[in-house]
Amino acid sequence: MVSHRLAAGGLVNRGNALSFTFDGKTYRGLQGDTLASALLANGELLVGRSFKYHRPRGIVTAGSAEPNALVTVGTGARSEPNTRATVAELYDGLSAASQNRWPSLAFDIGAVNSLLSPFLSAGFYYKTFMWPASFWEKVYEPLIRRAAGLGRLVTEADPDRYEKAWAHCDLLVIGSGPAGLMAALAAGRAGARVILADEGFRLGGSLLSESSAVGGLPAAEFAGQMLAELATLPNVTLMPRTTVFGWYDDMVFGAVEKVQKHVALPTPDLPVERLWRIAAKRAILASGAEERPLVFGGNDRPGVMTAGAARTYLNRYGVAIGQRVAIFTNGGSGYALARDLAASGVEVTALIDARKESGDAVPDGVRLIRGGAVTSTRGTRALKGIIADRSGFEEDLACDALAMSGGWSPVVHLMCQRGAKPVWSDERQAFLAPDVGAAFVAAGSAAGLDRLSACLRDGADKATVLARDLGFAAYEAEIPDVAGDYDPDFAPLWYVPGSKGKAFVDFQNDVTVADLGLSQREAYSHVEMTKRYTTGGMATDQGKLGNVNTIGIVAGMRGVSPAEIGTTTFRPFYTPVSFGAMAGTARGEHSRPVRRSPLHGWAARNGAIFVEAGPWYRSSWFPREGEKTWREAVDREVRTVRASAGLCDVSTLGKIEIFGPGAAEFLNRVYSNAFLKLPVGKARYGLMLREDGIVYDDGTTSRLSENHYVLTTTTAYATEVMAHLEFAAQALWPHLDVRFASSSDQWAQMSLAGPKARIILQRVVEDDLSDAAFPFLSARTVLLKGGLAARLFRISFSGELAYELAVPAGYGEAVADAIMEAGYEEGICAYGVEALNVLRIEKGHVTHNELDGRTTADDVGLGRMMAMQKPDFIGKHLATRFGLTAADRLQMVGLKPVEADAEIKAGAHLLKENAKPSMVNDQGFVSSACYSPTLNSFIALAMLKSGRERYGEKIVVWDALRTSEVLAEVCPPVFVDPDNKNLHV
Amino acid sequence: MASLITCPHCGVRPKEEFSIRGDAVPVRPAPNAGAEAWYAYVYVRDNPKGRIQEYWHHAAGCRRWLVVERDNVTHEVFSVRDAADVARSGSGEAA
Amino acid sequence: MCEVTLPMTLSFAHRHVLEDHIVGFETRPNPHHLAVVRRPTILCVLAHAGFEGGVKAALHALEGVCVRICGPAEWLVVSHSVGPEALLRLVREIEGVSAFDHSDGRVLMRIAGPNVRSILAKCLAVDLHRDSFAPGASANILIAHVAGNLARIGEDAFEIIVPRSYAGTVFEEVKEMGREFALTAGFSED
Repeated sequence: MVSHRLAAGGLVNRGNALSFTFDGKTYRGLQGDTLASALLANGELLVGRSFKYHRPRGIVTAGSAEPNALVTVGTGARSEPNTRATVAELYDGLSAASQNRWPSLAFDIGAVNSLLSPFLSAGFYYKTFMWPASFWEKVYEPLIRRAAGLGRLVTEADPDRYEKAWAHCDLLVIGSGPAGLMAALAAGRAGARVILADEGFRLGGSLLSESSAVGGLPAAEFAGQMLAELATLPNVTLMPRTTVFGWYDDMVFGAVEKVQKHVALPTPDLPVERLWRIAAKRAILASGAEERPLVFGGNDRPGVMTAGAARTYLNRYGVAIGQRVAIFTNGGSGYALARDLAASGVEVTALIDARKESGDAVPDGVRLIRGGAVTSTRGTRALKGIIADRSGFEEDLACDALAMSGGWSPVVHLMCQRGAKPVWSDERQAFLAPDVGAAFVAAGSAAGLDRLSACLRDGADKATVLARDLGFAAYEAEIPDVAGDYDPDFAPLWYVPGSKGKAFVDFQNDVTVADLGLSQREAYSHVEMTKRYTTGGMATDQGKLGNVNTIGIVAGMRGVSPAEIGTTTFRPFYTPVSFGAMAGTARGEHSRPVRRSPLHGWAARNGAIFVEAGPWYRSSWFPREGEKTWREAVDREVRTVRASAGLCDVSTLGKIEIFGPGAAEFLNRVYSNAFLKLPVGKARYGLMLREDGIVYDDGTTSRLSENHYVLTTTTAYATEVMAHLEFAAQALWPHLDVRFASSSDQWAQMSLAGPKARIILQRVVEDDLSDAAFPFLSARTVLLKGGLAARLFRISFSGELAYELAVPAGYGEAVADAIMEAGYEEGICAYGVEALNVLRIEKGHVTHNELDGRTTADDVGLGRMMAMQKPDFIGKHLATRFGLTAADRLQMVGLKPVEADAEIKAGAHLLKENAKPSMVNDQGFVSSACYSPTLNSFIALAMLKSGRERYGEKIVVWDALRTSEVLAEVCPPVFVDPDNKNLHV
Repeated sequence: MASLITCPHCGVRPKEEFSIRGDAVPVRPAPNAGAEAWYAYVYVRDNPKGRIQEYWHHAAGCRRWLVVERDNVTHEVFSVRDAADVARSGSGEAA
Repeated sequence: MCEVTLPMTLSFAHRHVLEDHIVGFETRPNPHHLAVVRRPTILCVLAHAGFEGGVKAALHALEGVCVRICGPAEWLVVSHSVGPEALLRLVREIEGVSAFDHSDGRVLMRIAGPNVRSILAKCLAVDLHRDSFAPGASANILIAHVAGNLARIGEDAFEIIVPRSYAGTVFEEVKEMGREFALTAGFSED
């Protein structure tokens, strides 16, 4: 391979050679190179194969619109497919591999698709893979996926770190070219907080590729000088390697910063990428313009690229794109390249201008072909020559590179992401940015300007207006002179008539002019339909390069203006953003916040097996040595509670402190049962409804003093109930003098349950706990031995004599340890939520298994808690409507299998004996089920049609999912101590 | 990806700090208002396009319920008021 | 209008929730440092309707406390010198106030260092420029996905108060975000 690196020039560091590999072969590049410029410098023109036809493809651009040069960078878990070589910063040790070829890039078997191309035209997939339907999933899709080649995802876990961060500024400047730099400087000097973000690893944008002199300096040096000043301003933040990919509501911009994508081995103290949300008061889009390719036969041959890209490789990287370069242009851009190539001593074979006239200066010794066009190209894996046509005369010109310029399209994506459509300009022959209000404006070539001097001025002017708008003193920026400024004005040429061979519009998805024609003939003529029918613009580059040409060509076919065709919809992201960046640190253990009970350590010491319950980790059972299954542990825990005592962590219940003279009335309105007369020192079970009459949540509320209550919620609904109460207090009854706040985290709360509970607790508590002194439903502050104040509630979920003790969270573990020690002789055990569940099912107490958002108080046997004599409470007014009081509603019952060892599972449905399983025959379902070691039988709670009238009936418990059918007897839902004798001992 | 709400108590905050309850226009009827009024309050909602009023709860901030008036097409926010202020000033408050 | 809380006892060991998370002795700032205060007094204070202004003024007049804003008529009152019972007595003398001890329900951390705002920008969405969040400012805010309270206690120093149950998550997340600046962490001396 011939080296294409020129002897001098460019912004590369010739003293710092970097070694890299491409498809296993080692190459050298220079610091400051992209992977693309380094490959070109090494004469590697062939970098990929096209998606459908597997045609050999080379580098087309020098930026983020690149459709062809997609490679996999990195190895192992760090492999990143579909990386655009044109924006991949070269680093020592970079390893890249081409994609979509087998067995090798040069010899690709898939290229046989090219011979089949008559059958692979637009709509091919839709027409071919239609029938039978079942074939789609099993046959067609896997086939297509294997043949359609993008890079392969690695399945190993990503070893790198990602972060997300917020930034705030007065002015966000997107793009650091001439307009962006001047904008940042004008606003920065005025004192505004400015963020200047650019996707490039070196700031300066197109100034880095420019050969003109700006302010008496080479353009890149001028950019350097500006950046040096910006760096000294404390109110300006420079963000290189940062792509602003999206514009969202309320002037929030999404951006991704490549922090460590340019190093072989990232340090773990920094993320590899950082996702930014930038809240900007104002923003300037200075994203420049994209050069349009020309559409002619064989325009995808490796060696054909845009003139602007050729100029960037020449001026910024010191790389000639070929030894003999032909130029095909419809405007001034081709001339600028010709001048730069000639000045660098690179041979320009011919400058072919599609226009018959132009005032552009042709450098000495360059042959100009006016009114000409390229109709086809020669070469297979590299360009060997072109056929130039002028007035019907064809000429074969030998060359190894062809630079093309089809005019410029402002890069307006971000301004179109929130619904506004770009606006066609006949004068500019381009789609211009829509007016999206004064807060976000385009500047420079993104605003449709062409000359460098105009872009510099526009950036400064627009920033000055925005800064003034925000109250910053106006700053008059001096606009530097530009020597050698040129006019890249162009005349439209959407495609070259008389082209031979395939003329590509969308390189990445292999969409040709012929495909566009077919879509029009087959009536898929709306631009959104054309896009989907041809897949033009649907590749990873989202049509950045090809879409405007597509619109121009379709307009030409239909004989209308591109304005009538319009554009497809612009959506984030401007360029692909990795899932890693989107996830940030939210991976593995950091996926979501974790809540820990203050008794977590106590539970862990006692051997708890934890289960996730929302954000909580709750202790589910405490296995002891010799217990082989969870059931053995749970059965023992239940038996111990019924026979002696057990201690359970109930800290996760929501706790709300309620204060004020209006508290009683407030509680009376949010609960269905009466609360006005709850005495101080007493707890009461309360039922909350939704406004539609359905049960919402339950819990106990205790009156600690005249105007101070503590309300408890279930663990699952703690957050929701708090918000519900706040809504009631603020939006419904703001005149009630009630204030409340959560105290859930203040207390470690433990339930001590069992006939020995009092004896054990009395050893720890100073106050008299006798039934007379502290009867059932007592609730007050007590002193523990030694003086620690605690809240004690005599309430029971298990049906046994039970207390809930709450101590300040930091003392939780010590107090729980003390209770375990105090109960050692009685054989106290720690019990978890599984045993708690068995205990409450045995007692017929409901949880959200029964309060499932469909049940009324009466459905679950709590009809007595509907205090209908109260004038108002949430849920009262719709509770009496017909549907909620119908006789055949599902009512909570107990179920006992006829054979005690037959297992009933929650979720099973209920059928009358001998009835066929059907929706019509459905009698209800099992809401909770367990093995009861107290009854030595499986038992269940179920919702059954008119259930309370059916005690004694035999019913089939039918579970098709787990293929079981059990005959059970319907019984009252309270299996132990139905007379509540145990509660009052 | 992002949007911002200016809480009258806390200032500019990201949407992640809020939860939305829905239409803030219906006013809770008086206890004796009758079945039709209660039915309408609980179930009947328009689904307008454009300018709407919604309850937003500043759950991770001041924990106040807010009435946000915004355009559900453009997400332009016109006003954010404390729900208690709105309820006190409104005529429909049930005593 | 609240139950009486009597003095703490020594018979039960008090354990800080972050004791499982903090190992070693990284107490010297590097210079970025996350300091966990072991036993601050933190009260939740609510003002009843009509008393908001008076309660606010009276809280600010208390000696040895910092007042953190939670929302309208709601504050956290923090002290490193006055114990919870004594402070509760003082606060309850204010007319129109309801208050309760939340010292065990909250974990207080201080984070400081020249790039502290860059670390916090990864944990919360609010603009911490001094023009919008000046020293002395405080607010309830989502910190590391958890509803907490943030106060600016210096140009480059902030105080974070989060619910105890979430403290481990927040502590680990802030430490993770501080890796870039070699953030150290430990219990504070005071």
